[in-house]
Amino acid sequence: MACTYVLVCQNEDCKQRGSGELLDKLTDKLKSSADVEVKPYMCFGGCQAGPNIVLYPQRVWYAGVKREDVEDIAAHAEGGAPVERLTHGIEDSLKDLIYQLLDAGLF
Amino acid sequence: MILFPQGRPTHRETFGEYCAAGGYQAVTKNILDEIIASGLTGRGGAGFPVGRKWSVAAETDADARYIICNAGEDEPGSFKDRVLLEYRPHLVLEGIILAARAIAAERAYVYLNETYDECFSRMTTAIDDAKAAGYLRGITVTVHPAPTVYVAGEDSAAIEVLEGKPPKPRQKPPYPAAAGLFGKPTVVNNVETLANVPPIVRNGATWFRRFGTPEYPGTMIFCLGEEMRDPGAYELPFGTTLRQLYENVGGGLKDHQQLKAILPGGPSCAFLTADQLDISLDPESLNQAGSSLGCGVMRFYPEGTCMVDETLRIAQFFARESCGQCPACRMETEMLSTILERIRQGKGDAALFNQFQKIIDFNRGKGYCALINMPGPPIMSALRLFGEEFEFHLQHGGHGSCE
Repeated sequence: MACTYVLVCQNEDCKQRGSGELLDKLTDKLKSSADVEVKPYMCFGGCQAGPNIVLYPQRVWYAGVKREDVEDIAAHAEGGAPVERLTHGIEDSLKDLIYQLLDAGLF
Repeated sequence: MILFPQGRPTHRETFGEYCAAGGYQAVTKNILDEIIASGLTGRGGAGFPVGRKWSVAAETDADARYIICNAGEDEPGSFKDRVLLEYRPHLVLEGIILAARAIAAERAYVYLNETYDECFSRMTTAIDDAKAAGYLRGITVTVHPAPTVYVAGEDSAAIEVLEGKPPKPRQKPPYPAAAGLFGKPTVVNNVETLANVPPIVRNGATWFRRFGTPEYPGTMIFCLGEEMRDPGAYELPFGTTLRQLYENVGGGLKDHQQLKAILPGGPSCAFLTADQLDISLDPESLNQAGSSLGCGVMRFYPEGTCMVDETLRIAQFFARESCGQCPACRMETEMLSTILERIRQGKGDAALFNQFQKIIDFNRGKGYCALINMPGPPIMSALRLFGEEFEFHLQHGGHGSCE
């Protein structure tokens, strides 16, 4: 049973900015981690700041993620430190809404 | 009636017949004043006062103005524009000509659903006939195909298409009446709206106000679907009761099925229940009942309909038809349909029920067009009126109380 979900937005904007590749790389990187599951997500609504990745239940939102950030995000998912430099650019009200939806099981 | 002599489309009128019945006669009145006095409102769904829209276009300083007759009709279940263009093309064309004269426009476009082949031939013939007879004098009218996607019928999306771009709504303001096609004042009116113009100009605003209610003069064409004994398009005065439309005009549901729910104005309005049939068919009364009249597409659902399925279908429609340019709209429509799908399949917990209103509130008004506000009324009304069906689905993952 996975404990940490790495949710990678796969809607139009994020995808155009390479979130498909991020999903593949993270899936590959974390495939041997029993406690982590990488999943595509329909949309977090933070399209201007994408690609967006949310770690749940840690409630950490990474915006503007690039392929060179994959290592650090994977390390966080496996229990390492949060990647502070990627946690900006998303308004709190949107974060609250999305975290509530995730709490309700919407992923 | 005002649009169809017998209140429904019965005869495909020719140019000669239209002229013989008083069509295309010289106009001595001030067209704009007459339309303002008539109280005519838009029939495409938003119900904006036509005289106000025209006044903005007429009063905005410009070297060109445009009329767009919006026949992009792609609302599920709506075919009123199609029957008007097929049966009374000259009534619509004269409405376009009068609108153009009222705002001093020299160019008009019929923005026509690309699948409406017969309308295309009827309208191009009508334009040719009227032009040959000298009724277009100084006004050029052409027909342009409208893509069959829902947002293509939105007024600013129609303008984008006519400018050669994809059908995506523009941010407003400016509104098209002030700055529309090629940045010039542009009146975008629905087919039915324009069809009301010649009778008003010919017979006067006072005559027009004899139909309907004081607040909402005139008639509206209501579309009844195949679930009814007598499906079709029917013109009725505002203020007619929903019961009159349902029982007397439509003949009730087929096979004497019992009525369960009503969607009185297309997929973006709130559901009503069978005990609300005595409501008056006018925008105000429908609003008071928490719903809306939209463009007059009526759907009646028989007992046995699964309202979870129906609501999901509507949510999926908006998710599919969101043009995708506004992040909030894309997120909202996707989320709402995903949550409903989860509930339908019984995958999730009761906390899902609390998420709908939060998502809707968070995103309200955050799109360029009205689509972002559309899934809310049907979903929230379905949850309120048929909550036990949703709860059953969530608990058991299937039909039960709704069967």
